[in-house]
Amino acid sequence: MLEFCNISASCGTTPILNNISVCFKKGEVTAVIGPNGCGKTTLLQCLNGSSKVTSGAILLEKTDYLAMPLKERARRVSFLPQVRTMIPSLPVKTLVEHGRFPHLGFARKKSETDIAIVNDAMQFTCVDAYAEQYADTLSGGIRQRAFFAMTLAQDCDYIVLDEPATYLDLKGQRELAEMILQLKNQGKTVILVLHDLGQALKISDTVVIMQDRKIAATATPKECMQQHIIEDIFDVRLKEFSDDEGHYYFFY
Amino acid sequence: MRKKILLLVLLLILCFFAGILLGSVPLSPWNVLRCLAGYDKESTAYVLIHTVRLPRAAGACLAGTGLATAGVLLQYVMNNSLASPNTIGVNSGAGFAVMLALLLGNGQVSFIPAAAFLGALATSLAIFGVAYMADSSRTTIILAGITVSSFLNAGINTIKILDTDISVNLTSFMIGSLSGITYEDIKAPGAAILAALLTTLLLTRSVNVLGLGDDIARSLGMHVPAVRLVILILASILAGCVVSYAGLLSFVGLVVPHICRRLFGNDARYLLPCSALLGASFVLTCDMLGRVLFAPFELPAGVLMSFIGGPFFLYLLLKKKGGRRVNA
Repeated sequence: MLEFCNISASCGTTPILNNISVCFKKGEVTAVIGPNGCGKTTLLQCLNGSSKVTSGAILLEKTDYLAMPLKERARRVSFLPQVRTMIPSLPVKTLVEHGRFPHLGFARKKSETDIAIVNDAMQFTCVDAYAEQYADTLSGGIRQRAFFAMTLAQDCDYIVLDEPATYLDLKGQRELAEMILQLKNQGKTVILVLHDLGQALKISDTVVIMQDRKIAATATPKECMQQHIIEDIFDVRLKEFSDDEGHYYFFY
Repeated sequence: MRKKILLLVLLLILCFFAGILLGSVPLSPWNVLRCLAGYDKESTAYVLIHTVRLPRAAGACLAGTGLATAGVLLQYVMNNSLASPNTIGVNSGAGFAVMLALLLGNGQVSFIPAAAFLGALATSLAIFGVAYMADSSRTTIILAGITVSSFLNAGINTIKILDTDISVNLTSFMIGSLSGITYEDIKAPGAAILAALLTTLLLTRSVNVLGLGDDIARSLGMHVPAVRLVILILASILAGCVVSYAGLLSFVGLVVPHICRRLFGNDARYLLPCSALLGASFVLTCDMLGRVLFAPFELPAGVLMSFIGGPFFLYLLLKKKGGRRVNA
């Protein structure tokens, strides 16, 4: 379980979040949703240190997460940031190998386990065919998969993805959803920011809804439907359909 | 990759040998080899090689290695392919500190490398601070660098003109020259350069992770400010020590990393050692050409570098739109 207890956080020197508490359950997929600028990214960035926690505590399975050494944190929780400031001119394989960084000692020698994990991650995200190609020559979708593979190569129990669907086309988004469900089946805990509400309701066990830099609601998709939470917050109408392939949600 | 590195090592040996062989006094290769091996101790060739050409070649080697490595490091730290000890003013900072040390030190020369390092570090921190506070776009960093450079160069000129006792040839210092270098000149800075180079080579993986951008580096558990400071210090040692004995050599720190990126890719594990090797060969060649082309007149190495480096840099700027391995 990953608990945010009374967290206040700032981005640079601008305070964004004030006294936020939220809890992500182990082994579940939790989607964080909310309008742009509601503080989703700032909240999750408390985990990698990109936003500054000014007060409060984060508990990872009852231990103080923020007091852990940075490498230890990166071995427990992997984080894929939303914006790519740099597209490195590195072969995809080298990029994915960087995911092993928190596991390597000072000698930085890769063991066979490291190599196996890197290969698994590339296969899982279907970028193994691009292993030798340079990341900056590939399309946005493949690049995003390569970064996703890097995050998976960290081999953490908790995987945090900030808008992983951004660079993906429809097919890519569907495959991402499948990958996330597979990760859940492997026992991983996945926390992700999604803007596609239908997708969020479909793949998550719990939905955390943020509004105006506050947690507006934490509910299961079913409760969201029954209590019209999403409709009230996003000012949309929601309809649920189901057929033999599963549930679908439509907004209008 | 191993093969390429081996080729670079061979190239360096070749340039080093040519640097000793060629000059205003003609020597035969056999003669040079005998003298290097310690024979013919009484001959003029032996004295010439061991007191003039060998220290000069070693100085050129260290200068190229130091500046090229510093260039790669600065490019990673600033996430900016146009950064180099010269373009962001680190060299000028070191040069100004050297002049200041000469002015205040009454001819004491022992602490000049240390002063150069401090000047380089202060400048790089200042530039980084400016870039960080503004928007850290590529242009901001380079503009800040140009401004700081010309400010410090004005300082260098002022000191030299006001204090005519300073025993530095201003023209060769501003342009960078290796003439008249003795073992005494390069002993301390050379040791510091080699130590900084070795430390750098141990940190290549961290350098690579830093190149992925701050957010990802943090997510991978790296203490970004600490690593950045360490790398800035290393780059300042490398560039500062070179400036302390060779003056403001330009372009090595920019051109060599770019050639290496094209030839060997962007992986710091290869880019750093390759740039160090090629940088040494480049400066050795420029210094050798400067001595040979218009003999008995001698062009400072810095002049040749600007002649070769300048057009090459323009070529890179034009080529960049289509190029790919130049964005780190």
